[in-house]
Amino acid sequence: MQKKRILIVEDAAYMREMLAEMLEQEKDRYEVVDFAVNGKEAVEKYKELKPDLVTMDLAMEVMDGIQAIVEIKKYDPNALIIAITALGTSEQKNAALDAGAGEYLWKPFSIKNLFDALERLQRNGKE
Amino acid sequence: MKYPEAIGMKKQILILSFASLFCVILALYFASRGTTIVYTHLFYIPIILAGIWYKKKAVYLALLLGAVYIFVTLFFIYPTPTEILVATLERAVMFVVVAYAIGFVSDKWAKGEEKLKETKEYLDNIIKSSADAVVVVDKEGIVRSWNKAAEDYMGYMADEVIGTPNKKFFAEPEEAERIMEIVQRDGELKNYRTIVLNKAKKPVHISISAALLRDKNDVPIGTVRVSRDVTKEVELEEKIKEERDNLNLILESMADGVYIVSKDYKVEFMNKVLIDLFGYHVGDVCHKVFHNREDPCPHCKITEVMKGKTVRWEWHSHRQNKTYDLVETLLKNINGTISKLTIFRDISERKRMEDELREAEERYRIIFEHALTALCVLEESGIISLANQEFALLSDYSREEIMGKKWGDFIAGEDRERVLNYCAERRAGGAPAGCLFRFVSHTGEIKQVNAWIEPIPGVNRCIAALLDITELKRKEEELRETCERLTELDKMKRDFLNVAYHEMRSPLAPIVGYASLLESCELPDKGRRYLSNIEQSARELDMMINRMLQLATIDGKKIDLVVEEVHLSEVVQEVVKGVEPAAKKKNLVISMAVPEIEIQADKEKTAAIFSNLISNAIKYTEEGGKIDVSAEDTGEDIRVCITDTGIGISEEHLPKIFERFYMVDTSLTRKPGSLGLGLSIVKEYVNLHGGKVWATSEPGKGSKFFFIMPKRQ
Repeated sequence: MQKKRILIVEDAAYMREMLAEMLEQEKDRYEVVDFAVNGKEAVEKYKELKPDLVTMDLAMEVMDGIQAIVEIKKYDPNALIIAITALGTSEQKNAALDAGAGEYLWKPFSIKNLFDALERLQRNGKE
Repeated sequence: MKYPEAIGMKKQILILSFASLFCVILALYFASRGTTIVYTHLFYIPIILAGIWYKKKAVYLALLLGAVYIFVTLFFIYPTPTEILVATLERAVMFVVVAYAIGFVSDKWAKGEEKLKETKEYLDNIIKSSADAVVVVDKEGIVRSWNKAAEDYMGYMADEVIGTPNKKFFAEPEEAERIMEIVQRDGELKNYRTIVLNKAKKPVHISISAALLRDKNDVPIGTVRVSRDVTKEVELEEKIKEERDNLNLILESMADGVYIVSKDYKVEFMNKVLIDLFGYHVGDVCHKVFHNREDPCPHCKITEVMKGKTVRWEWHSHRQNKTYDLVETLLKNINGTISKLTIFRDISERKRMEDELREAEERYRIIFEHALTALCVLEESGIISLANQEFALLSDYSREEIMGKKWGDFIAGEDRERVLNYCAERRAGGAPAGCLFRFVSHTGEIKQVNAWIEPIPGVNRCIAALLDITELKRKEEELRETCERLTELDKMKRDFLNVAYHEMRSPLAPIVGYASLLESCELPDKGRRYLSNIEQSARELDMMINRMLQLATIDGKKIDLVVEEVHLSEVVQEVVKGVEPAAKKKNLVISMAVPEIEIQADKEKTAAIFSNLISNAIKYTEEGGKIDVSAEDTGEDIRVCITDTGIGISEEHLPKIFERFYMVDTSLTRKPGSLGLGLSIVKEYVNLHGGKVWATSEPGKGSKFFFIMPKRQ
């Protein structure tokens, strides 16, 4: 089985590192291709690297996650994106899902939560 | 009659003519023989006859015969000796004297006869034409005379009844004898009333007067009766009697008291009302029985009434403690006397009501005067006719100045038309009672007033109550501003909290994340225990932040349900899975009896409801306890019950547990990890779904939390 290439979009450095550490646990299945620190960078890197999956923080400077999801979806309607945020309101969640995110992950989350979400995203994306 | 009379007259003239001629021839014969004296006596035969028949006209015959005698004598005896001349003249004069004397006597006699005849005719005519019936009845009761009036009302003709007994005419035959007896005894009978039967056998009321008829020797031979048909009078009398009876009946049945007093203060009549009140006193003297006085009362109005005046006055009876309205008037009795009629009307009740009314009026006047609301009375013309002290204070006018002022002048120009229209509508009974407008006082100061206009029933007036709300308005404005500021502050606070919670959460993410990463690392047992504690604390912190976030959202009033198809058992299973570690720690058994129901609900919030309730149950249940989660489908709704075997909730706390920040135990020894938010969130979410939540509990044994939610949103 081919490894899934993941783009991590996250403005906080320790979160980027943590996500990478978590994905390292399943390095046979997932591979982090790059990091982006804001939405704008994320869209650019997505176009450049064409990753299989994206973890997208929503609250970021320059361009927020929702905007970035919209842009990426515009470029690639089949893009598989997990929205990750500490904003606990359903409005945020709905906005992200409406923009095109396939899954939604609330902070804080455990390693298990992350992999469950990734599994669901791929399963649903395939369907 | 004239014809035989004429014949009689001719005979007399013939006889007189022959007798006179015979006398003249005799005179001629004896004169021619020179004698004159003896046979002149024959001349008296025609003269006496003429005197008898033609009264004084006989003188003419006497003069004629005298002249002829003188002429014959002077012719045949010439020259005439003086003694013969004297004798001749003497005889001739005698003729005239005898003629006149006899004529005079017979004239007088004839005149007397004629008068007698005239009188008889006159009487006959009277009897004939009398309006009264004149009937003569003899001693045996046989009718002897029957005039025209008798024919008229009896119907019998004179020929039919004369010679028959009169008994048959009476309705009661013995009446005939009775009348006869009375007449014989008293010599006359006056205005006796009886009933006779006419020819058609109909009864006729008559009034009869009779007198005894006597012959020359004063022996009674019968009676003459004058009678008259009085049927009409009798009917009239009966009518009058009937009317008097009716009048008495009316007086008797009147609600007012009625009594009649004669001129000399004798009570002649009292109706029932008065008898009931004062007792029966007919025949007594009024001032004695009603007032215990020997003399007439000083206030008695009888003198005025007797002069024909109708008097009305009020009399208070101290004995009855009642006030009467009296009307007294003159009453003319049938017998010609006069009395005083008095009508008593008991007006005590009215008096009492008048007094009460006066009292009530006084009471309302005091209320009106001293009310702390400005009050005024508006006439239909828009003029103020009355105002109280408070109105004077409001308007800065004296109370005298206000009277007659126009109501419209107290209303600010821009409000005037609206308020006046409103007043008109209130008069007509429409429009609600209150109306806000700007009031202009004497000094031109504008005051905010709230006016109540109320039409006064029955008259075209309104009462206006004005409340100066200028100060109130100012306070209201202040309050509104404060409220706005607070609302703004609240929003700022919420926004701040929202951000703050997120910011608190962000550092929680690496704590939880790295802790989960650490699990896969090789750690000594001690380290693993530490890690477990870190994870537990982080989860609790997360849950608390979560709840605060949820509440902040609720307060913001911006929550919408995201309704979707929800598998109830799946949701519950997930929630139970989440709390299992905490349950395991306390060695609690969670049993589930949730059927496969699909409902329309907000999945997240439904999960939050279960999560809060179950977490709560875990928190308050001691080691080794039991928690049951059951749900049932009741058709329209689902009914859920979460039962624990925990410490329970005392009755005093039970009604308040769903209130925000309500904590049963606020002491330092309280259970950790509780802010008193969980149940209030449950309540909000259940309500949002159109459901209801409640709890029952037995302290020391456990609690039951119930909620019902409609299956379809």
